[in-house]
Amino acid sequence: MLTTKGLGYWYANPEDYLFKDVNLHFDAGVMTAIVGQSGAGKTTMLSLLAGLDKPRAGTIAFRDEDIAKLGLTNFRRHHVSTIFQAYNLFTYMSARQNLLTAMAITQSAHRGDADYANQMLGKLGLTAAQMRQTVARLSGGQQQRVAIARSMVCDAELVVADEPTGNLDEANTQAVVDLFRQLAQDLGKAVIIVTHEEAVAAQCDAVLRLASRTVSWERQPSR
Amino acid sequence: MVNLLWMDVIHVNFIKRAGLTLVAKKGRTALLVLVTTAIMLFVLAGLLIRNAANTATATAKANVGATLTLSQNRAAAFKTMRSSSQSGSKPTLTQTPVKLSLAKQIARIQHVASYAVTVTTSANASGFDAITTRGTTGGFGGRGPATTSGDITISGVTSTASATAFNQKTASITQGRGLTKADANSHNVVIESELAKQNSLSVGDTIKLKATTGSKATTTLTIVGIYKAKSTSTGMPGESDPANTVYTGYGLANQVKGSKYVNTADNVTFTVSAPSQVAAVKKAAKQLINTSKYSITSDDQNYQLVKSSMATVSGFANKIVWLVAIAGTIILALIVILMIRERRHEIGVLLALGEARWKIIGQFLTELFVVLLVGIGLAAAGGKVVGDQLAQQVVATQTTQSATTGQFGRPGGPSGQGKQLPGGGQQTAKTNQAAKQTKLATHVTVQALALLFALGLGIILVAILIAAAGILRLQPKNVLIE
Repeated sequence: MLTTKGLGYWYANPEDYLFKDVNLHFDAGVMTAIVGQSGAGKTTMLSLLAGLDKPRAGTIAFRDEDIAKLGLTNFRRHHVSTIFQAYNLFTYMSARQNLLTAMAITQSAHRGDADYANQMLGKLGLTAAQMRQTVARLSGGQQQRVAIARSMVCDAELVVADEPTGNLDEANTQAVVDLFRQLAQDLGKAVIIVTHEEAVAAQCDAVLRLASRTVSWERQPSR
Repeated sequence: MVNLLWMDVIHVNFIKRAGLTLVAKKGRTALLVLVTTAIMLFVLAGLLIRNAANTATATAKANVGATLTLSQNRAAAFKTMRSSSQSGSKPTLTQTPVKLSLAKQIARIQHVASYAVTVTTSANASGFDAITTRGTTGGFGGRGPATTSGDITISGVTSTASATAFNQKTASITQGRGLTKADANSHNVVIESELAKQNSLSVGDTIKLKATTGSKATTTLTIVGIYKAKSTSTGMPGESDPANTVYTGYGLANQVKGSKYVNTADNVTFTVSAPSQVAAVKKAAKQLINTSKYSITSDDQNYQLVKSSMATVSGFANKIVWLVAIAGTIILALIVILMIRERRHEIGVLLALGEARWKIIGQFLTELFVVLLVGIGLAAAGGKVVGDQLAQQVVATQTTQSATTGQFGRPGGPSGQGKQLPGGGQQTAKTNQAAKQTKLATHVTVQALALLFALGLGIILVAILIAAAGILRLQPKNVLIE
């Protein structure tokens, strides 16, 4: 589904690259973890894969089409859904309004369907009252579920998540990991999770390790 | 079962987001409304004052009198007198009254609305007493055209309404009626109230006047009206008390003056319907008269005074509009820039979801548009109050300046028109009248609100365009991840 060719990234000096000449492939229905030490470039890699930034070298192709040619805004709107460690919800809106807003922007098949939004939020364990509340009043775990629900209603085939369990306790972490597994296995999405938690990485189908300016598969997805 | 909110069912777009933001962030919305209202209020006040000044100028064009006065060319008469003096004879100033036939010719010129004839002479009271003031030696030597003076001044007019004193409200009819065109050759008279009181005269009574020139005949006149003069004697030696002025038709005044004055006038005042045409009418009139005998002078200073005052007020109002609009744009732009900085995170989330940048700008524009509508509504409610207050201050300043110029900066009126006040006093009266006419009445009109809306829209568009640079440069990664 998503392929990188000769991918490279650096900030000021090409000699001080974070990584270069990276060739990767991410398949539908597979949950991949990106792990590595702090500063190894995990989040940068995720930004590139999510279309939030442009690579310094190489290309990223979605279904064999260069996302730069597709347009990063267009790519983000139709093909990728990003979940952040800080949730990044619209704090002045209710949980349901957050989902409906995302559905409208991404032109989801269910856009405007409040029942569908409620259904998704209900699946993730939110009560009717919590759905109507502004998300600022929800707990961290609840907000993360709203963020995941938002990615579920957006029809994107690719889901990328930056430290989605970083702020959660053990029970909530497992619940969130299970949800990602559902996204991959039940909905057939390609799920890429940046995490520093080995326990989370262990439950993924594949693990990509970034270390010392190198990118390597620690565990390859089975094809 | 979850109750659905109507907002959730409607297709969510940037307009709805704008609505949600305005409702959710009440404090910020209130602040924006406050600032926008203040800007709109002052812009509207400026527009209202400008409109009022323009209306006042237009009204002045229609109502403030502009006149032309046809009278003897005194400068030429004095020149003739000096040349005859050099030849050895006693210097005598030859009077050349204006022929009414000439006045009728001039009256046919386009834009001349009407004309009023003035004949001034004097006669002695017969069977009643004129009012004497300290220093009066009998008569009012030098003021009238005749060299021999009586104690009663006869002001022969076309109608009392056209006489300067009545026209400028320094005299008004208190009993009976004023004189009209029909009284031109009648024996009707309007006398001053003090003169009437002193002699126990009332409307319907008769008085007798004995001419001091010509046949020196006695004429009996019927009192048809009594007027009250506001002016008083200055007490100057030789000056007759204003109460001794009686008004008659100009035909009768000419009879009293002498047979050679029939169908003549001391001066004729033409009212020009369009003050802006005074110069053109004057030019046309000059072609009809013998300029060595007659002179024609224009008096459109009331119009010019109002026009000048209103031009200044209008200019000031324009400055208010532009200064407030420019300052408002800068203030709003700064607020929007700060607002965008504060909402970088929200913009980042929208961009991460794939929202188009123009829609994000559209959301901010919609928010400001709603704020603008509320601001205009509030400004419309308070605009008249602020406009009136501001206009009052501006006009007060302007009128003081104009009055000062009128009283000290210009010479008195034409000598031929001096009736009750010396030249300077007459000038002051005219200036005050013009000053009264510069009072502005502001009105909130649909046109003013439409213009305000257009200006307000321009202000928020410019403010958004300035602030949009921040949105166009923003990268979601920088906001959401780093």
